[in-house]
Amino acid sequence: MEECHTVFGKYEMGRLLGKGTFAKVYYGKQISTGENVAIKVINKEQVRKEGMMEQIKREISVMRLVRHPNVVEIKEVMATKTKIFFVMEYVRGGELFAKISKGKLKEDLARKYFQQLISAVDYCHSRGVSHRDLKPENLLLDEDENLKISDFGLSALPEQLRYDGLLHTQCGTPAYVAPEVLRKKGYDGSKADIWSCGVVLYVLLAGFLPFQHENLMTMYNKVLRAEFEFPPWFSPDSKRLISKILVADPSKRTAISAIARVSWFRKGFSSLSAPDLCQLEKQEDAVTVTVTEEENNSKVPKFFNAFEFISSMSSGFDLSGLFESKRKTATVFTSKCSAAAIVAKIAAAARGLSFRVAEVKDFKIRLQGAAEGRKGRLAVTAEVFEVAPEVAVVEFSKSAGDTLEYAKFCEEDVRPALKDIVWTWQGDATCAANVPACHGEECHKQVVVVSTI
Amino acid sequence: MGCMNSKSVRKFPAREDSLDLAAETAFTVNEVEALFVLFRSISNSIVNDGLLSKEEFQLAIFKNKKKDNIFANRIFDLFDVKKLGVVDFEDFVRSLNVFHPNASLKDKIAFSFRLYDLHNTGFIERPEVKEMLIALLFESDMKLADDVIETILDKTFVEADLKQDGKIDTEEWETFVKRNPSVLKIMTLPYLRDITISFPSFIFNSTNVERVDETSTRL
Repeated sequence: MEECHTVFGKYEMGRLLGKGTFAKVYYGKQISTGENVAIKVINKEQVRKEGMMEQIKREISVMRLVRHPNVVEIKEVMATKTKIFFVMEYVRGGELFAKISKGKLKEDLARKYFQQLISAVDYCHSRGVSHRDLKPENLLLDEDENLKISDFGLSALPEQLRYDGLLHTQCGTPAYVAPEVLRKKGYDGSKADIWSCGVVLYVLLAGFLPFQHENLMTMYNKVLRAEFEFPPWFSPDSKRLISKILVADPSKRTAISAIARVSWFRKGFSSLSAPDLCQLEKQEDAVTVTVTEEENNSKVPKFFNAFEFISSMSSGFDLSGLFESKRKTATVFTSKCSAAAIVAKIAAAARGLSFRVAEVKDFKIRLQGAAEGRKGRLAVTAEVFEVAPEVAVVEFSKSAGDTLEYAKFCEEDVRPALKDIVWTWQGDATCAANVPACHGEECHKQVVVVSTI
Repeated sequence: MGCMNSKSVRKFPAREDSLDLAAETAFTVNEVEALFVLFRSISNSIVNDGLLSKEEFQLAIFKNKKKDNIFANRIFDLFDVKKLGVVDFEDFVRSLNVFHPNASLKDKIAFSFRLYDLHNTGFIERPEVKEMLIALLFESDMKLADDVIETILDKTFVEADLKQDGKIDTEEWETFVKRNPSVLKIMTLPYLRDITISFPSFIFNSTNVERVDETSTRL
C-alpha cells in the first residue's frame, strides 16, 4: 500500500478513497487479520462547529443495530482529541450505478439487486432505522456482485463519499426522494425509503430515471404527482409492482411485506437461508424420523452438573444487563418432565408453529421455520439435560436467522406452547405450585411423527 | 472511601489513566473511554458520586433496585478489589477485562474459581456449592428435596473432586472446566468486543493522541 501509516497500532491506512466537507475515507488494512477496511476520518472541530456531534453519536448507535449481509458494516469507532474514525467494511466492487451507466440491466439481475435492497431495508426498518437517503452512491457491489447499502444511519452527514476517490453531489436533485419529503412536512422514514427503492428498481430496469426534466421545478412537480411512464420493454409484472411503490400518497403506497409477497419479487429469491436440515442431519449422522418417548427412554440425556445448572439458570451471573436496556429473553427453562417427554412436546409445539423438526442427536433437536425471515429461515436448537432424576434443564439457542425474530419466537411462541411442561424459566420466579407434575397421560402418551425433510 | 477519589472518577479519565488501563488489559484506550461512558451511567444511577455501589450494580443487572441476589453480590465482591464496598472505575475495567472475548482462558478459569469459592478458602467446598444451589432454587422458586440436591452434588463432585477430599482445588477446577467448557460460558461477554459502538459518546471527550493527529494536514 503506497504511503501508508499505522493507526492505533491496529490498522494500516493507505490511499484516499473519497472526501467531503467533514470527512475523508481511506483504504485500510487490519494488521492482525489482513482484512481490508475503509476508514472514514472525521474532523471533530468542524463537526462540533456545525453542532453535529450528537447526531453522529446517535447514528453510530443506529449502525450498531444494523448487521446485515447487504449493509456495509461498521466495525469499530475510534477517536483522538481531534478526529473520529469509523472503521467500515471495504466494498471493492464499486457502485451499482456504474453498471447502469453502461445501459439497463436484464430483468433477472435487476430483480436480484432489488431483492437484496428490499431485504436490507426491511431488516433495518425492523430495527427502527430508516435510511432517508437511498440514492445511487449509497448502493455498492462487493466482489461477488452482491449489493451493499452504505452509510445506513450516517445519512445525516451532509455529503456521501464514493469509493472512487471523487466527490459527487446530487445538486439537490429530487430524483430519488419521496414526494412527502419534498413537501418538507413530517414524514415516515420507512415509507420514504420504499419510494426510493421503487425509483432504484425503475432505474435498474430502464437505465434512466422515472422523473427527469432539465427544469428542476418541473421535475419536482413530476415527483409530487408521481407522474412517470414505463418504457415498452418493462414486463407487466414489474410495471404492476413499480406502480404500487411509486404512489404519491404514502398511506396508499405498498409496504415491504406486500412487496415480498409479489410473485415477480419472489422469483429466484434466495434469502440468507439457514443451512438445510437435511444437510444438518447428514452432518450429525442422525436420520431419526420419529420422536417417541418409548425409543428415548432407553437413553439418558447428558448430565448437567451443579456448576452448569447455577451458571445457566442464575440471572445474577448474567452480566449482559450492564450492556442492554432490557433484560434479555430467557432461553433456558427447567422441567419436571422426563427428557423424552420434553423432546416430544417441543417437537409437537414446533409442528404447531409450522416449524420443521429433525432430531439431530439424543435429546437435542433442531427446528427450522418454514417462512423466510429477515435473515433467512429461523433455525433453533433445543437441548435437554438432566440435572437430577426428576429435574431437566432445556436450553434453546439460535442456529440461524434473525436475533429479533428469535427473541419473539421464544417470547411469544415457545413460552405459551410449552407452559404445561415448564417448571421455571431462567430469571423468572414463577410459583412452583402452579407447575403441573409431569406424571399423567399428558406426558406419557405422546408419539410425535416428525416430517422427513 | 475518599472524596478525592470519587471526584477524579467523575471526570473523563485522563490520558495517562486510560493508557495505563489499556496497557494492563485487553482493552484499547478508546475502549477504556467507552467503558467510562458505561461506568458513569450505571455508577450515578442512585448516588452521583462516580463510584459503583452494590445497589447500583444490581440495578444495572436486573433493572430492579429491590432485587438482592447472592450471585450478583458475589460478582460485585470480586469486582470490589479494594474491599471498600464500592467499585471505582479502574477496578471496574480490570475486572471486566476477564470477561473480554480475548482474555486468556487461564484468567477466566481463575476468576470462575474465585466466583464459586464463596468463603475465600482457596477451595470450592461442597457446602459452598450446596449454598449456591439452594440460593438458585430459592431465587427461581424451585423446591427440591434435600436428597435430590445431594444427588446433584454427589454426581458433580465425583467428576470434579479427583482427589476425593470433599473439595475442589485450582488444579482440579482447571481439569474440570476444560472437560465442561459450558461452565465458562458466563465468563465471556461478546458485548465487550464492540464496546466503542455501544457507547459512542466517548468520541466527544477522547484524550487519545495518535500519530494521525500530528499528520493532520494529510488527513
